[in-house]
Amino acid sequence: MLPENHGEIDTTIRACLRDVLGLSEARVAAFQDDTPLFGALPELDSMAVAGLLTEIEERLGILIEDDEVDGEMLESFGALVRFASAHAPR
Amino acid sequence: MIDQYVWRGGKELMLRFGPSEGPLAIVTLPLFEEANRLRAFAVTLCRALADAGVASVLPDVPGQGESLTDLRSCTLANMRSAMAAAGAALGRSDRNLPYSVALRSGALLDQDLAKAGRWLFAPQSGDNLVQVLDRIRRTSDRLGPGASGKQDVGTPPLVEIAGNRIPARLLESLRAERADGDGDLPQRIVRLSHAFQPADQMVEGSALWRRAEPGNDPTLAALLASDIVAWIAACER
Repeated sequence: MLPENHGEIDTTIRACLRDVLGLSEARVAAFQDDTPLFGALPELDSMAVAGLLTEIEERLGILIEDDEVDGEMLESFGALVRFASAHAPR
Repeated sequence: MIDQYVWRGGKELMLRFGPSEGPLAIVTLPLFEEANRLRAFAVTLCRALADAGVASVLPDVPGQGESLTDLRSCTLANMRSAMAAAGAALGRSDRNLPYSVALRSGALLDQDLAKAGRWLFAPQSGDNLVQVLDRIRRTSDRLGPGASGKQDVGTPPLVEIAGNRIPARLLESLRAERADGDGDLPQRIVRLSHAFQPADQMVEGSALWRRAEPGNDPTLAALLASDIVAWIAACER
C-alpha cells in the first residue's frame, strides 16, 4: 500500500534530482518507477549522492542514516521514492 | 578589479566590485567543496550589488580556492584573522564599517571582522558542516570506485574528503561553532523556502551548493542583491 503522502514524496524526489544533478524539468518529469539512477546517470556519482541525500532530508524533514545507503535504494527512481516514503513522517 | 590583502600568514587575493564610495559588503564564501560550487554565484551576486550602487569585495580565504596557503596549515583562528585582515585592508573607519555577507559556512569565518552588521544566506552550523563532510566521505567509501575519503593521513592528522586534505583539528574546532548570533549587531538570515529552518526571509531557488556541477542562478543572485541593498539601507538609517 502506498503511504498517504506518496504523491508529495514523488514530487519532492523529482525536485531533488533536478536541483542536485542539474537536470531539466522535462527530464525528471519523464522518470518512471523503473528508470535507473545510480550507475545510469553520469551526474550521479558518490559525491552527488551525498548532496542528494542531504537535500532529500532537508525537503522532507527526515533523517537518513549513512549506513542505510547502498546501491539498491539508488537503483531506480521507484526504489528511491520507496526508500524516502519509508522514512517520511506520516 | 583584483586587489590583495595581507594577513599574518601571507597574501591573498580579493576581487573588488562597484563604486569606491558608499556602503560596502564583504562577501565570504563557504568552506571546502561548497566554495567551488558557489564561487560563480558569488561573483554574480557582487555584480548585482554593483549594479545597485553597493560596493563589495570577495576575498580568498586562506587554504581555499586560488589561495596559495596550504590548507594543511590552516586553523579556524587564522582563517578568521585573515577575514578580519581583509576587512581592515579596506580602510574603513569605525563609523563606516563594511557589512558582512556570508554564504553558508562563510558565516563561521566573519566573527573577527569589524563589521556594521551580518547578512547570512542559508547559514550552516559547524556541526552540520562536519556531518555533511562525513557523509561525503562515507558515501564515497560505500559507493565510490575506490575509497576517496581517508582518515588520519599524514602529520598533523588530516582527513581527506573529496580531494581536500583537511586538518582533523580544524574540523574539530569547527564542530562547536554556530553560524548565527554575534552580539548586538544587526543580523538578517535568508534561506531557501524549502529549508524548514527559522529565517527573516525565505526565497525560492535551488541549493546551488549541493549541485553536482557548479552552476549559477542570476535570478536568485538579483533577488538576494535587492534584499541586501534594502537591508543595508535600513541599517544606515
